Amino acid sequence: MQEDIQHFYHQLQDKGIIFSFSGPISQSLLEGIGQTLKQKMTLEETSKNIIQKVFSIFVELMQNIINYSAQRVTAEAAEQEISYGVLIVGKEENHFYIISGNYIQENQEDALQEKLTNIRTMDHEELKKYYKQQRRAPVDDASKGAGLGFIEMARKASQPIEFKIARMENGYSFFVVKAVI
Amino acid sequence: MDIFAREQSKSTPWIHFDPNQNHLQISGESYPENSAKFYAPMLEWLEGYLNNMQASKIQVDVKLIYFNSSSSKLFMNFFDMLEEAAQNGIYVEVNWIYHEDNDTALECGEEFQEDLDNVCFKLIQIE
Repeated sequence: MQEDIQHFYHQLQDKGIIFSFSGPISQSLLEGIGQTLKQKMTLEETSKNIIQKVFSIFVELMQNIINYSAQRVTAEAAEQEISYGVLIVGKEENHFYIISGNYIQENQEDALQEKLTNIRTMDHEELKKYYKQQRRAPVDDASKGAGLGFIEMARKASQPIEFKIARMENGYSFFVVKAVI
Repeated sequence: MDIFAREQSKSTPWIHFDPNQNHLQISGESYPENSAKFYAPMLEWLEGYLNNMQASKIQVDVKLIYFNSSSSKLFMNFFDMLEEAAQNGIYVEVNWIYHEDNDTALECGEEFQEDLDNVCFKLIQIE
């Protein structure tokens, strides 16, 4: 057991992983980790612009899990919900990256695929236009977000957003997305 | 009409809307879990305020270090309501205050500015 953990820890470090979390995710966890991430980057004298970009993508991906993960626990009495997912922040070739993963409903697959594929083809100007257009578009009542998260991430990232959706059993798919800053 | 006020939290800004001074102020960071829910009371207050508007001028000071994408949508709603008031002849001055080394805040301000025609939207750099 002890050796496994030690091995796991070193494996993460060797891969340049700064932070990894898998399990229940909440807004308060986001706030805490977000603060620590900012502190770490500040101490390492990362430029303010990069810190802002990393933090921004971190928030969008964490809230994406909070709002859209299909694996969640809801307490009936309180308006409380906890969603499950995985999130990794790392650095490779001098670029920060963030990866998140969570279950989605199989029937959300097509819309997500279409949206992200579309965003991947856009350049900076097109992304800006799309962002502004979506910002004024009427909100879908069932959605907790504004549908702007992925566009925002694409605008902050230095490379097109990568993603993968894998079909699982029993009506779920696993969705992974990676943004490089 | 009462003052609308919210204390600052880690993920929500300080808000102070004073109907007597016609001075609306927002300052801090904004990335609440549910932006629509958080900002609903503020927008409701604003609607009531604008519908009963007595004065001819409103001053709005916005100093946001960071906001997430769903907050951005709510701020657009907020500015669109002010834009409508401006179209109806009220002089609306928005001061978008940003720190000199916060390029993101400047860009965000510029993007709101581009989308508003009647509001007098100023970008103000501070040190």
